[in-house]
Amino acid sequence: MTAQLTEPIVGARVDHVSRRAPRHNRPEAFTVVSYLVVSVFGLFCLVPMWMIIAGSFTAESQLALTGYSLWPHPFSLAAYRMLFSGSALLDGYLATLFITSVGTVLSLSCTASLAWAIARRMPGISRPLTVITYIPMLFTGGLVPLYLLVTQVLGLQNSWFAVILPGMMAPFLVFIAVSFFRQLPEEIIDSARVDGAGEMRIFFQIVLPLSKPVLAVIALFYGVTYWNEWFNALLFLSDQNKFPLQLMLQNLIANVANAATLPGSTAAQAAAPIYQLRLAMTVLTVAPIMFAYPFAQRYFVKGLTLGATKG
Amino acid sequence: MGDATPQGSTRRVRTRPVGSGRGARTGRPGEARRRRGPDRSGWTLLLLAAPGLVWFAVFAYGPMAGLVVAFKDFNIRQGIFGSPWNGLQNFTYFLESGDAWTIVRNTLFLNVLFMAASLGTGLVLALMLNEIRAQRFKRFAQSSVFFPYFVSPIVISIILQVVLAGVGGRSGALNGMLGVFDLPRVSWYTTPGPWPWILTVVKMWQLGGYMSIIFLAAITSIPEEVYEAGMIDGASRARMARSITTPLLAPTAAILIVLSVGRIFFGDFATIYAIVGDNGTLFPTTDVIDTYVFRSLRTVGDFGTTAAIGLFQSVVGFVFVTAAVFVQRRLSKEGSIL
Repeated sequence: MTAQLTEPIVGARVDHVSRRAPRHNRPEAFTVVSYLVVSVFGLFCLVPMWMIIAGSFTAESQLALTGYSLWPHPFSLAAYRMLFSGSALLDGYLATLFITSVGTVLSLSCTASLAWAIARRMPGISRPLTVITYIPMLFTGGLVPLYLLVTQVLGLQNSWFAVILPGMMAPFLVFIAVSFFRQLPEEIIDSARVDGAGEMRIFFQIVLPLSKPVLAVIALFYGVTYWNEWFNALLFLSDQNKFPLQLMLQNLIANVANAATLPGSTAAQAAAPIYQLRLAMTVLTVAPIMFAYPFAQRYFVKGLTLGATKG
Repeated sequence: MGDATPQGSTRRVRTRPVGSGRGARTGRPGEARRRRGPDRSGWTLLLLAAPGLVWFAVFAYGPMAGLVVAFKDFNIRQGIFGSPWNGLQNFTYFLESGDAWTIVRNTLFLNVLFMAASLGTGLVLALMLNEIRAQRFKRFAQSSVFFPYFVSPIVISIILQVVLAGVGGRSGALNGMLGVFDLPRVSWYTTPGPWPWILTVVKMWQLGGYMSIIFLAAITSIPEEVYEAGMIDGASRARMARSITTPLLAPTAAILIVLSVGRIFFGDFATIYAIVGDNGTLFPTTDVIDTYVFRSLRTVGDFGTTAAIGLFQSVVGFVFVTAAVFVQRRLSKEGSIL
C-alpha cells in the first residue's frame, strides 16, 4: 500500500487500468470521442501560451491591427532588444530569484521540521502543534491586520522579506509532510535510537535523506508560489528597482505609460512597441517555469496524489 | 556524546512510546509514561518546531489579534491598540454603503460557477484521459492540461487581453474570430454582462487539468475486478465510464465540493484582481469581497472599515469552513485534510 501511494500515477498503474480494454480491435465510439476531446482541450490549454510567444516576435505594426498573432510575421526582435538593453530586466530577475530561493529554503526547512515534530506523535507536543497549525486553515485575520503588522510593527516596507514572510508556511503542505513522515519505516528510526542517536541526529541524518521525494514536492510547490507572487510585492514594495518580474509585468498592464520605466524607452518612447513589449516581458517571466515544467511536473502529480489518496 | 551511553539510550527507549503511536493510535502508552511535560527529546522536538511556531505566532495569530482594528477609529499616529474605540460603527458603515450586497452576491455566485466548471471539466477530462491507451500521447496530453495551473494570474491577465482586447480594446483573437463570421466586434472590457462567464472559462482553463489529475489518482485505486465484471456483462467503455467509474469517483468529488463550499466566502483575489484591476466598469459583476477590501485599503486608506469587512468575511467564512470540515470528516473516515 505504501509503495502505491508514493508511486507517480502517470506511469505504470494508470496504463494498467487502461489496458483493461475489450479484446476486439475496433475502437469504441467513446474512445474515439475521448481522443478528440482530450486533444481539443489540450490545444485550448496550450494555444494561449503560443499566441503570447508568437506575438512577442511579431512586429508592433501587425499587432496593432489584430492584437494577436499565431505566427511571428513580420518577424521582429524590437521588444527583446529593448528589454535586454537596460538593467531593469536584470533587477527584476534578481528580485524574483532572491524571493524564490531564499523563500523556498526558509519555507521548506520550517515546514519539514515542524512536520516532523507533529509526525512523532509525542504526547503533550504533537497534539498542540497540530491544532496550532490547523486553526489558521479555518480562520484568518485578513488583509488589514497583516498590512499593519508588516508595515507598522515589523517595518518591512520595501524589503523583499515583506514579500517572503507573509506566505512562508502553508498548513496544507505541513500536513502533506506529516503524512509522508508517518509512513517512514519505524524500525530504522528505532534502531538509530538504540544506537544512541538523539532527536536532532535522527531528523537530519535519517529522516531528511529518506524523505527526499516529499521534500522535492514541497519545495516545488513553494517555489512556484514565490515565483508567481505579486500580491505582497504590490502591497509592500514601492521602490521600482526592487520589483520582482511579476510586478514589473503588472505595472506594464496597469499603465501603458509605465513603459517609460523600461530600459531604452526614454528617448524613443513614442516609437516604443508597447504591446509587443508586454508580450515579450510575459515570455521572459514564464520562460523559467516553462523550461522547468517537463522535469518538475511528475513531482507535482506525486504531491497531489499523496494528498488525494489519503481522502 | 555523553548522553549516548547504552544505559541512557535504553532508558529512553523504555520511557518513550516508541512507535506505538504511529499506525495504531490505540497504543496511547499510559504504562510507559509517567511525566506530563516534555522530556529531553521533547525539548529537542520543540526546538525543531520553534521556527515554524514563531512564524505561526507572528503571521497567523498576530493578525487575528490585530482584528481589534475593526472596532476602532484607527489612525496611524496612535497605532492599533492606542486608537479610540468606536463600537460597531465600522460595520454599520459598510452594511449601509450598498456595496455589501453586491460583493457578497458576486462572491457566492462566482464561486459556485467556478466550482461547478472546474469540477465538471476535471471529471470529464479524467474519464476521457483514462480511455487513452497511447502512452506518449496520454503523457503529453496530461502535461498540457496541467500546465495552466502554474501560470501566474498576471500572465493570465495578459493572455486575456490578447484574446479579448488587443490594442484598441476591439481587436484580439476572439474579435478576430467574430469578424470572420461577420458578427459585430465587442469591447469586452467595457461590457460587464459576460464577465462571470469569461472568468468561469478562465477557471476551467486554470483548474480543469489540476482537477483531472486528482480524479485520475482516484480512478487508479478502483479495483480491477469491478471492470472485469463489467466486461463479462458486456458493458461498453462508455457504459463502464458512466456506471462504474463515475459513481466510484463520487466520494472524491464530494470531498472536493465540500472543500470548495468551505472556501465559498473567500473570493479568488489574485486572479480576479489581476484581470479586472481597477476597471470600475466591470465591478457590478466581478467585484468580490477580497478585491473590495484590497481596493478600499489602497485607495481609501480607511483601515477600520476595511478591517470590519475582513472580520465579517473571516467570521462567516469560518462558519462555512468549519461546517465543511465537519461534513468532510463524516465523509472520509480517515479524517484527513484532503
